[in-house]
Amino acid sequence: MSSARLLRWLLLLGALLVPAARAGTRGCDLPPDLVEAGAPLPATLRAVTAGRLRILVVGGVSVLGAGTSGPEAAWPARLRALLAARRPGVEFEVTVRARQGLSTAEAGDLLAEEMARTPAQLVLWATGTFSAAKGLEVDDMVEALNERLEQLRAAGTDAVLIEPQFSRFLRANANVEPYLDALRLVAATHQLPLLRRWELMRHWAETEQVDLERTPKAERVAATDRLNECLAQAMAALLRDGAAEARRSR
Amino acid sequence: MRGLIRVGGSVGAGRDLRVDFFRGLALWFIFIDHVPGNRLGELTLRNIAFCDATEAFVLLAGYAAGLAYGAALDRRGWPFAAASLLRRAGTLYVAHIFLFVVFAAQVGYSASILDSPAYLDELHLDPFREQPYDALLQALLLRYQPAFLDILPLYIALLVLLVPALPLLRRPPLLLGASALLYAAARLLDLNLPNWLDGGWFFNPFAWQLLFVTGAALGYVPRPRGGPPGPAPAVPLRPGLVLGCVILLLLGAAVMLVAERAPDWLALLPEDVAVLLTTFDKSALHPLRLASILALAYLLGHAVPRGAGWLRSQPAAPFVLMGQHGLPVFCTGIFLSFLGRLALEQSDRGPMQVVVNLGGWAALVAVGLVAAWYRQRDRGEAAPAPAPLSAGLPPVTPSSTTPA
Repeated sequence: MSSARLLRWLLLLGALLVPAARAGTRGCDLPPDLVEAGAPLPATLRAVTAGRLRILVVGGVSVLGAGTSGPEAAWPARLRALLAARRPGVEFEVTVRARQGLSTAEAGDLLAEEMARTPAQLVLWATGTFSAAKGLEVDDMVEALNERLEQLRAAGTDAVLIEPQFSRFLRANANVEPYLDALRLVAATHQLPLLRRWELMRHWAETEQVDLERTPKAERVAATDRLNECLAQAMAALLRDGAAEARRSR
Repeated sequence: MRGLIRVGGSVGAGRDLRVDFFRGLALWFIFIDHVPGNRLGELTLRNIAFCDATEAFVLLAGYAAGLAYGAALDRRGWPFAAASLLRRAGTLYVAHIFLFVVFAAQVGYSASILDSPAYLDELHLDPFREQPYDALLQALLLRYQPAFLDILPLYIALLVLLVPALPLLRRPPLLLGASALLYAAARLLDLNLPNWLDGGWFFNPFAWQLLFVTGAALGYVPRPRGGPPGPAPAVPLRPGLVLGCVILLLLGAAVMLVAERAPDWLALLPEDVAVLLTTFDKSALHPLRLASILALAYLLGHAVPRGAGWLRSQPAAPFVLMGQHGLPVFCTGIFLSFLGRLALEQSDRGPMQVVVNLGGWAALVAVGLVAAWYRQRDRGEAAPAPAPLSAGLPPVTPSSTTPA
């Protein structure tokens, strides 16, 4: 058993033994296999070592923090805060380029435009929800992703893909699975980390930790804040794992 | 239950129960795959092959169409066969519109009980609520096909496309050649029927017709002058072909399992090959999907003999019955999948999974049973004396999936 696996096992055991502690802390329950990077993030590691990391977040309404108490509660802002708290010597800049109802191709254009203006070392790309909801062609999404990810790699930029948000309503009323499968395949093909947001949110909903669709309206904003906090923690964990992998393979 | 299974005509080789069984199985898989969140969905064909139950359904629907309308063509000529095909397409159209209404009600209900979180509000998931009249018109024109309501429109288009091609059933090379040409055009020129919201149909009928027509060519029983019809022409057993099919299917299983369970392993592939894997589209029936379902059908066709005893066994009976009454079972399956989705939206834990799957399966079998019982009674009273059989009459076995 490798030391990492042993550690993970011990953590899991710990989580099982002290379930009561969770409610009080601000930590979120992050199943290790859902925040595994699975691929190195060399450009991110270099930038952090050099003391300055610029992150570009691209996506739809979910990255804009819809339903939260304010822009500071959206997960990209929370991610920046978490990273800054963990690495005080490093300057983290997070730029969000998002719009409601953005197809993957349009998001790709937005991404290229922003990268041409101010290059980032790390791109976080949330996509697929709009395509699934509207039933847009899966191949179009894959083509747009393949093209843009190829360009990012050529430019030496790291990229992380982000799955759509889990929702029972969306699952029941849109055919989401083909889009999820395609995202998983694209991430694996390009050797990119994929934040398993769908699976994470499903896990949180099933274990009744954060479940927006079952939260009364009065508590909805607080729950959305909590969700964004947990997503930020998940992304931070995934980035740490990716940087560690890059360090190992150096 | 076995007493209600039709074993086929008095002339010729009788009904091919293999087709019924595998169609029944495909219908059950389609129901399962239409209920996202259903854990059984991890065990259906799509997880271990480049193709899924949709391909199986279309191939076997083509087979049934070739058998039934081919016989109608030979006995009563093209105008009659064409009219029956169109009547069939009309029935399917009405069924589709009914299911569309059910869908609209389900989404509406689903949305009304959901006190919608912000990000869902902004998705505008439901065009029916925003533009009801337009949505209705587009649905009638088959240009608006909501999620999970895209197989019946495909089936309708395939039947209509078969009308002009019917006479070519007697000349399979010409039929398959023309069909392959249309398939190539659909893939290379992006030829598709238009979709209201974006792009084309989810299942491009100009591409999928190749699979349907292949099934029709396999199902058509040529009627030689004078004598009784021979058995359906099949592709003979050839070791090289078997090996090729086995390799293709193993490759499909390996890729699907690796992509699902251990995507990191894809790193071992050359990047070009890996990128190729992401482009296996279902919409225009990627050649590998087509090859996979044909390989599967070829291997199963030879591995399971026509008269295999287990096809007549009690455990196989529910599936054979479902397959023999494909249309009502299919439509009920789609209808039940709406209920299944609503149920799993409320709870997707173990007990509800059992209720949805057991209830769904039992309801589908029940529909097959009732359809078979009704048909048996109907026939029994309508035809007290067997009609005189003229020599060489092909074994027409009309059913609720094939025309009466």
